[in-house]
This record gives sequence, structure tokens and C-alpha cells, in this order.
Amino acid sequence: MKRSTFFQFAAPSMFVMTMLMVVPLLMAVWLGMQFMTFTNINAPQFVGLRNYIDVLSDDRFWQSFRFTALYAAIVVPGTIIVGFVVALLLDQVSNFTRGIYMSIFLLPFIIVPVVGALMFKQLFEPSGLITFLYQELLDTRFRYTEISVKTLIIIYGIWYVAPFSFVVYFAGLQTLSKDQIEAASMDGATRLQKIRHIIIPHLRSLTILILLFSIMDTYRVFDSVFVLSELNPIYKADTVMTYTFQAATVVQRLGKANAMAILTVVGIMVVLIPNLIQAYREQVEER
Amino acid sequence: MEKVQNPIGRIFIHAALILFAIYSIVPFFWTTLQSFKTLRDANSRTPKIFFTPTWENYQELWLRSVPENGATIAYFILLTVVILICLLIFAEYIPAKNSFIYLFVVGSFALLLWGIPQIVDTAKFYDYFINTIIVTVGTVTISISIGCLAGYSLARYAGIASVVILIAALAFRALPRLAFILPYYWIGTWTNLLDTRILVIITLVAVNQPFTIWMLRSFFMDIPRELEESAMVDGCNRFTAFSRVIIPIMWPGIISTALFSLLLAYNEFLLVRLLTQTNWTLPVAISRFTGGEDPRHLTLAAASAVSATIPIVLVILFFQKNLVKGLAAGAVKG
Repeated sequence: MKRSTFFQFAAPSMFVMTMLMVVPLLMAVWLGMQFMTFTNINAPQFVGLRNYIDVLSDDRFWQSFRFTALYAAIVVPGTIIVGFVVALLLDQVSNFTRGIYMSIFLLPFIIVPVVGALMFKQLFEPSGLITFLYQELLDTRFRYTEISVKTLIIIYGIWYVAPFSFVVYFAGLQTLSKDQIEAASMDGATRLQKIRHIIIPHLRSLTILILLFSIMDTYRVFDSVFVLSELNPIYKADTVMTYTFQAATVVQRLGKANAMAILTVVGIMVVLIPNLIQAYREQVEER
Repeated sequence: MEKVQNPIGRIFIHAALILFAIYSIVPFFWTTLQSFKTLRDANSRTPKIFFTPTWENYQELWLRSVPENGATIAYFILLTVVILICLLIFAEYIPAKNSFIYLFVVGSFALLLWGIPQIVDTAKFYDYFINTIIVTVGTVTISISIGCLAGYSLARYAGIASVVILIAALAFRALPRLAFILPYYWIGTWTNLLDTRILVIITLVAVNQPFTIWMLRSFFMDIPRELEESAMVDGCNRFTAFSRVIIPIMWPGIISTALFSLLLAYNEFLLVRLLTQTNWTLPVAISRFTGGEDPRHLTLAAASAVSATIPIVLVILFFQKNLVKGLAAGAVKG
């Protein structure tokens, strides 16, 4: 394909992405340097780097950052383990039953996150099913505390992200070479040894991919936390995203919120850049 | 891997899968039960599994006033929907061109959605539902059309520019939405487009574009170059070769990608929440029922959650193969 045809075909998409992604991002850097509320949105006041310093010395920002890190540290390995085990189990059943299980397992993935979180919340209402079971089994009442709300958010996170990893792993299992498994059986390898020495190495590149995607997605989790943290109005279960949202809408410090978003972008880029460089090399080789 | 033959092992496998199925479905199951309860039943401390179901919550959610012949109208609507869905499922066996049947079904659905408020007095929630459909359809149409052009050219052009664009898109996919949405709010006030569907649609298209072009590109890579090259030898130019030869065989890939854009648009909460005050879509409308001191919120929230879930579940069940294939393809190829 010629260079000029390439740019003709790509033009509409490039235009949209430049105008509505590159430009806004630069704008966010600039807006982060303004003192701005909803009342003076058309006449913001330039304050330089003060917003950025404000954010970095804000205890609640660091608190939300710590919770986001904790969330990612549990949800990411959680979904990988759950997804891997479920994919191995699904590989064992016949095609027909697999289709039925698949439809059910995919449900958390297709449900609107806000709705899924709301459904979770219904289970933990004073009249909810889990509240009741909790009381019957442990003989203490279920209470909303900082810890229980955080646990709830994390369990929901695994519930919501696991289907993605199990579908990916399952697809990976289908490309496993039969010869290799048979050869291992000849040599008398046990099932666990086959999993350990053939399947896990085979799924390595997919694991890295799931890792990358789920780290990015857990880092910017918003919807479910927004719905579930309403259970605990002290806002101790904020993530970076919900705290930024609070700063923009409740406290109405738009400049500070923009500064926070930009700092998050910087944080993500630090993690991302090595991967981007690697992806760049792969693409250059592939073309 | 070869299958476990040991019967105890097989029982164990199914037990584990059933347990996971329960874990996946319990929130949905419980919310559906709650949505059919009266407030008294729903607030009972010992959960009621058996109760007399009521439609009250759904009526209150969707209707401003209940018409006298409500049951007849409800049956009529339900029957129409079932017939249309059957038409879709059995389209292959009907001796008519498939595209005509699909067009007919889509047209009938649009007519039905337009007609309902003329017959019954619908509540705000219906407006949000219509709004969601418009935003979703608009977003999917625009992002797939411009995404196909870009994805195709990225798959075929060997220059360094295509690699740079792809990597930049990957980086943008990873960034938090808020970094864009706060400036969008500013752009919205500046252009006076705040609280309009147009702003929501074009911003959603932009936010979804990186993902769309990556996925479409990977599907275009699978189509051999010889196809369009031979078409171009036969006198097509690049664009007609693309639209007449490539697009017709790309449908499975386009449907997979469209499903993901559809989910992204239908699910979007943060962007719509910040850019609209009245023209809400369902996720934002529903989040209104989650908080608040109003004791009715429990059953109403349940009914709204179920109402928002059923359409999307129907669509996905219909296209489940494409969704799974898309997830797998996007992942296996990177």
C-alpha cells in the first residue's frame, strides 16, 4: 500500500484520536495548572505547579493510592489463578456442557459494571442473602466497616475480571500440541507434572498479556468502587479514580482533579513504557 | 490435555464447575428475586425464596400510570419481541435473503420502541433506555466505520508510521478515562454541547478507537493480500476492492469488534455521568437508585438492574460465539 493511500484510509480515525485524545491530554496538563471551579470555568486563574504540589502532599490521595495498589495486588493474581483453574476444568468436560458453563461464566463479564456492583450490594443489604448466611454461620451480624467494604470491592473485582482471563487461557489451551502431551504420557508423567512442565510454559505469553491488561484495568477501576463505597460514607475505600472524581464534583477543585489525573497518567506510563518499547520492537520485526 | 477417566475425579470436576457457576450467577439470581417482591417481602430479615411475585416494581420503574388494558398490551409487546427474536434465530431457514430479514427485524424493533410511548404513559426510565440505545448504536456505527478504514490500512501499510500509530494507540488505551473526560467537560462548556447525545457519542468513539483499530487490524491481517490484489488487477481501485471484496468476508471480525464496542458504550458510566445532566444512559440512571434514604430503593434498584441486564444478555447470547472468538483472537495474537 502506498503512503498516500495509507493516510487517506487512516485519516478519519487519526483525526478523531488527535482531536479527542492527544489534544485533551495536553489540555489536562494545562488545566492542572489553573485554579478552577465550576463557577470560574471560563476564566480560570493560573497557579503554576501549586495543584501538583497540593496533590502530592495530600494524605487522602496517598491513602487512595495505597488502596488502589492493594486492590491490584490481590485482584490481578486472583483472576489469573481463578481463570487458569477454571480453564483447565472446562477443558475436561464435553462440548455441550462446556457451552452451558461458558454462558453462565461469562455473565459477570457482560453485565454493566455499575449494575453488577449493585447486584453485589443487594446481597449485603440488611435483608440480603449473604448477610443472612453470614449471621447463621458465624453468629455475628454483618457490618459495613472499612475492612468489610474493601473486601467486598476486591471480591467483586475478581468476580468481574476472572471471565476475561479464563476465556483467554481456554483459547490458549486449544492451541496446545497433542504430541507433546502424548510424549509426556509415554514417559510416565503425572497430570500435575504435565501442568507444571508443559501447560504453564505454553501459557506464559498469555499470562503476561493478561497481567498487562488487568494491571491497567485495576489501576483505573472506578464504577464498582463508586457504587460499593457508598456503603461506607466515610470514603475510606476510595481508589485514585474515585478520589479524583470526588475532587472534581464534590469539592469542585477542577484544576486539582486534572493535576491528579495527569499524575496518574505519569504513574501508568512508568509501568507501561518498557512494554511499549517491547511491543514496538515486535511490530517492527513483524511487518 | 487428555480427559480424566476416573469417575470420582469427574464428579469432582463438575462439582467445582457448578460451584463456580453458582458464584457467577448468585448476585444476578438474588437481585431478580428481589425485583419481584413487595417491599415487605424484600426487607424481611430471613430471606424469602418462596413468595407471591409482583410486577409492581417494574410497573413503577417503566410506567407513569398503568393503563386499564395493561396486560393485553404487555402480552402483545412480548409476543412481538418473541416473534422477532425467532425470526433472527431461524433466518437461515427462511427462503428469503438474510439481509432483508435482518433489516425487517431491526426496523420492527425501532417501530416498536417508537410506538410504545404513544400507547402507554411511560416513565423517565423509558427515555433513558431509548437514550442508551441511540448512544450505543451511534457509537458502534461510527467507531466501526472509521475503525475499519484505519484497521485495514494499518494491516496493509508496511511503513514505520503504522507501527508508531499502533503503539501510540496502545498507550492511549491504557490511560485512565478521567484524564480525557475532565478536558471533555471543558470542551463541552466551551462548545455548548454539554448534556447532548452528540458529545457523548463522539467522545465515546474517541475513547474506544484505540481498542477498535487494534482488534480490526488483527482480523484484517488474516485476510490474504492476494484477494484485493487480484480484484485490483481486474480493475477495482483500492477503495472499491476494500468495500466490495474485503468487507464482505470481514463480517465475522466486524461483528466481534462491534460487540466489544457495544459493551463499552452500553456500560460507560463515568463519561456519561460527567458530561450529561439530564440525557442519562442506563448505568447513570441506575446509580441514582443505589444510594439515597428512600426505603423503596431496594426493590426499584433491583428491578432497574434486571431491566438493564436482560437486553444485553439477549444480544450476547445470540452472538456468544463471536464474543468468545473475539476475546481469544485479540488475546492470542496480542
